[in-house]
Amino acid sequence: MNAVARHLAVARAIAAKDLRAELRGRQAVTSTLFLAALTLLIFGFALGPDHARLAAAGPGLLWLAVILSGVLAVGRLHQLEMEDGAFELLALYPIPRAAIYLGKALGGLAAMLALGALVLPLTVILYALDVVSSLPGLVLVIGLGALGFAAIGTLYAGLTVRLRAREVLLPLLLLPVVAPLLLAAVSATASLLAGDPFGELSAWLQLLIGYDLAMLLAGGLTYGLALEE
Amino acid sequence: MPPTTIHVRPTGVPDETTPAVETHDLARLFRRSPALAGVTLRVEAGHAVAVLGPNGAGKTTLLRILATALRPSFGTAAVDGIDVAERPEEIRPRVAFLPHATGLYDDLTAAENLRFAAQLMGLPGPDRAGRVDAALERVGLTGDRDTRVTAFSAGMRRRLALGRLLLGHPRLVLLDEPYAALDAPGMALVDELLDEWRTAGACVLVATHADERLAARVDGWLRLVDGLMVEVGGEGASGDVMTGAALQPWSGALPEASRP
Repeated sequence: MNAVARHLAVARAIAAKDLRAELRGRQAVTSTLFLAALTLLIFGFALGPDHARLAAAGPGLLWLAVILSGVLAVGRLHQLEMEDGAFELLALYPIPRAAIYLGKALGGLAAMLALGALVLPLTVILYALDVVSSLPGLVLVIGLGALGFAAIGTLYAGLTVRLRAREVLLPLLLLPVVAPLLLAAVSATASLLAGDPFGELSAWLQLLIGYDLAMLLAGGLTYGLALEE
Repeated sequence: MPPTTIHVRPTGVPDETTPAVETHDLARLFRRSPALAGVTLRVEAGHAVAVLGPNGAGKTTLLRILATALRPSFGTAAVDGIDVAERPEEIRPRVAFLPHATGLYDDLTAAENLRFAAQLMGLPGPDRAGRVDAALERVGLTGDRDTRVTAFSAGMRRRLALGRLLLGHPRLVLLDEPYAALDAPGMALVDELLDEWRTAGACVLVATHADERLAARVDGWLRLVDGLMVEVGGEGASGDVMTGAALQPWSGALPEASRP
């Protein structure tokens, strides 16, 4: 088996293990999805019944719900490793650090896509968004945003998982770094829903792709630090 | 399909004169406190050696450094002549480590836990299922193969963690308190495995408080107290025993900020 195939086989095994364990421990999945739904509901109440106002806020709140609950999701995938010292053993297998990162990021991506699949229809219903004509584009934007968030979220979750105050530190450290992703994803979503009147969609998509690649590279190169004690 | 038989055959056997484990002035500090304070040790392949000592003596730290889970603060450690700090990736395929925490995933079944380990160890697909089945049978968990680990007792978890060590062909086996939580048959299983690894040419280091049980089953022993090796004896183990007089020059060599 060549090196690339071995990397991919390890990554797939780690991602499959994470998802299987996460789906069986239903409590964490349910609470993450519930937080996303709750975020949308609470902001809906705060904004009031004005349809135009709700529709204008929709793209921003969609991504806020995805990212806030995403912090829980990527953090949880690493907390699984801490339950009985599994993280230390994971580091001792004869496998490349980058493959461990890739596996964790793949698991994070799956969790983020699941969040997107829940949040998008909820936002459409609660915030009266018309997505029929822009649905393929929205799926692409959510996919790119989910990938970027999983890429950087996995790195930060790994770096903070051994810390005592990890639940507080993870959002404090991660949220500022995802600001460019949030900006690009919200702008791309708003642009898509408005029919791209200013022709800026492609620029936002390029920013998202660049962010994703940069974060994947950073994660692949530096995740090994998370595994060192 | 009947499970395949497990042969604990070590791979990558080095030159006969190369010790399985060799450390020189090995030290590890946690903050400013030395958990291991200058251990010079040599353990030959094919021998089982007990690592004895009271709580906090540095037994686990020594094992974790040899497993490449920790880097030495000072000094060197080598497995089969390979430096643990410089080339840890070459050591990992040679070492089987049973830490105090079992490292199991509660929401996976016993078989899924071992299958995951086998995948990460790079066992080819056709061999994987057979070795997982054989390991489960060897540790007496065949009947619980599809039970989630969260329902396991502490002893069953220990058995499953031992089963994970049977998936590969280690040159060095590191056991940290292997008898913990085990019943009498479980303890006998550890004894049997210890013999099998040794017979297969692997070196086995066992950190334990069960001095009396292990005495008849190991070739050599070393005793750590406060991070210092104060006793080494038997076959297969040798090294520098630290006395009060010997401690002074080593301690003086530490950077000022790190002195105990």
